[in-house]
Amino acid sequence: MTTTQAPPATDRVTSYSRAINEALAEEMRRDERVFMMGQDIGTLGGVFGLTRGLQEEFGPVRVRDTAINETFIVGGAAGAALGGTIPVVELQFADFLFTAADEVFHKLAKWRYMHGGQFTMPVVVRLPSGVVGGAGAEHSQSLETIAMHVPGLKVAVPATPADAKGLLKSAIRDPNPVLFFEHKGLYRIKGPVPESSDVLVPFGSARVARSGTNLTVVATGLMLGRALEAAEQLAPRGIDMEVIDPRTLVPLDIDTIVASVEKTHRLMVVHEASRTAGFGAEIATQVQERAFFSLDAPVWRVCGTDTPLPQDPDLEQACIPSTDDIVTAALALAAV
Amino acid sequence: MTSTHVPDQRTRHEHLIEIYRKVVTVRFAELRIRGHVEAEGFGGFWHPGIGQEGLQVGAIAAMQPADYLYYAHRGLGYAYAKGMDLTALFGDLLGRAVGSTGGKGGGTVHFASAEHGVLGQGGTLGSNFVLGAGTALASQLLGDGRVTVVFFGDGAAARGTWHEAAIQASVWKLPVVWVCENNGWALSARFEDQSPTPNVADRAPAYGMPGVIVDGQDAMAVMDVTAQAIDRARRGEGPTLIEAKTLRIRGHYEGDRQPYRQDQVQGDEIPNDPVHRLGEHIAVEERRAIDAEARRTVEEAFDAALAAPRPDRSVIFEDVWA
Repeated sequence: MTTTQAPPATDRVTSYSRAINEALAEEMRRDERVFMMGQDIGTLGGVFGLTRGLQEEFGPVRVRDTAINETFIVGGAAGAALGGTIPVVELQFADFLFTAADEVFHKLAKWRYMHGGQFTMPVVVRLPSGVVGGAGAEHSQSLETIAMHVPGLKVAVPATPADAKGLLKSAIRDPNPVLFFEHKGLYRIKGPVPESSDVLVPFGSARVARSGTNLTVVATGLMLGRALEAAEQLAPRGIDMEVIDPRTLVPLDIDTIVASVEKTHRLMVVHEASRTAGFGAEIATQVQERAFFSLDAPVWRVCGTDTPLPQDPDLEQACIPSTDDIVTAALALAAV
Repeated sequence: MTSTHVPDQRTRHEHLIEIYRKVVTVRFAELRIRGHVEAEGFGGFWHPGIGQEGLQVGAIAAMQPADYLYYAHRGLGYAYAKGMDLTALFGDLLGRAVGSTGGKGGGTVHFASAEHGVLGQGGTLGSNFVLGAGTALASQLLGDGRVTVVFFGDGAAARGTWHEAAIQASVWKLPVVWVCENNGWALSARFEDQSPTPNVADRAPAYGMPGVIVDGQDAMAVMDVTAQAIDRARRGEGPTLIEAKTLRIRGHYEGDRQPYRQDQVQGDEIPNDPVHRLGEHIAVEERRAIDAEARRTVEEAFDAALAAPRPDRSVIFEDVWA
């Protein structure tokens, strides 16, 4: 099931980072229980500038700079949620999920379950994610599959400004913990974003970013744009690609993907994360379980290399799928 | 020390009676559980708190009903003292549907009662530090006047989460009180072998907070220092680290033969027993009546929990999502 955005007439063009900033401000205006904490988010406005202006509007009590203490940022958010607030916290890089792993994967994910459903855990953890150009092996990873593997966490992977805003607003209103993977390489991209502060993008609702007939490509984050570029290059060559952005991995809208495969009969999953046991493996498995006889060819994956990411920006780009890689793979898969 | 910080108008003796009643109830609960483990075997791990009941009940006696509690893994004294129903606690222990977690329990760890401000416990030791600081932050943000009390052992005091939580809580003057139960042992590790300081409380000044050492077998003394720390927290002056010196009477878990230990407590004698310390101040007949009532309460609650059904397997899929 695909949702449609608000009518274009009410949209205006803004950046992915501005869209996130707007979502934070609107939700903090709407609900006084919402507060933020993280490293350098207040006075500085975030190392990527995402929270700029928010401490000015909401004050240092609701937009709090912390020490370098990821276990507190996430564990403290868990405790603050139990105390009746709605924390929206930032880990400076998504990679720091590992620094706060006990708090993320045990406390956020399991507290409600372990304690018999007596509590809710309305926490959003904002996670600047992915390759951005020379940030190195510990500041560039795409860890959404790891988040997806631990029951109890919702996982958002917005690829457009409108989705970044609409999904973040949904995340803040969700009573469950949400890991919100913002792609650092997308912060500056621009796109139409609804003017209204009431437009939410629901979780578990994939978006068909491009309709096509020959081949389905599932792509998230930075890879969505590359898949769409590849589709434009392939169109004159007789391959009409359908491009689907799941937008959230938990919950995953597998129905939209299966419906597309039943139409195109071929599927390729593109992700920036390492190939082995990435979400591409999960989607491939679910599709063959549900639509094996619709497939005319094996499901392929175009993914990041099974290596740490080198610090050098050129080497780093060679580790993640390029538009050319997607084009090449699509041509080959179409010929199978 | 005086009782002026204790937040109601009861006399000190009335407090002592109430604390004694709870301590002795928890003692009977400890003995009942041990009996069950020895006779029936037990699917989980029971981490006995026998001998440490005085400090648990004493500290919690200084809390207001609305205050928040994160307890540690030594027994059920904390949760009972905060007002939770014994049948529910035994139900958690025995994996019964009447448990506070509806049958997801089994073992000691995860009691909870939103109604009583018992917010639960993390199974990874030391994880309560950061959660407790966070809950105190919520109280500061909401201005709800509540204080969060976090219990932990001398072993968990070594966790990095302590450092992160203590610094942030102190910088923000969060209304949280840390209560360390130093029983000298972290499973097989002796505190003195793993601590660079003679006391956990010695570390408090580095975090800009008071560190207070108290005799953990003296429930009234623990109540007094905790009351002062809670008052301080409620006034917005920040956290306090209390170290209650106590003794681990049994193994890490019931059934642990403690081959690593030379100072094992033999028989049923509990050195410096908090029950006796309190009982000395109560007339013999009154004490006997309290004891009999406590024993009956425990037996009834345990029998009720034992008789309760196991949860349906469908609970596996409940409460993953709100």
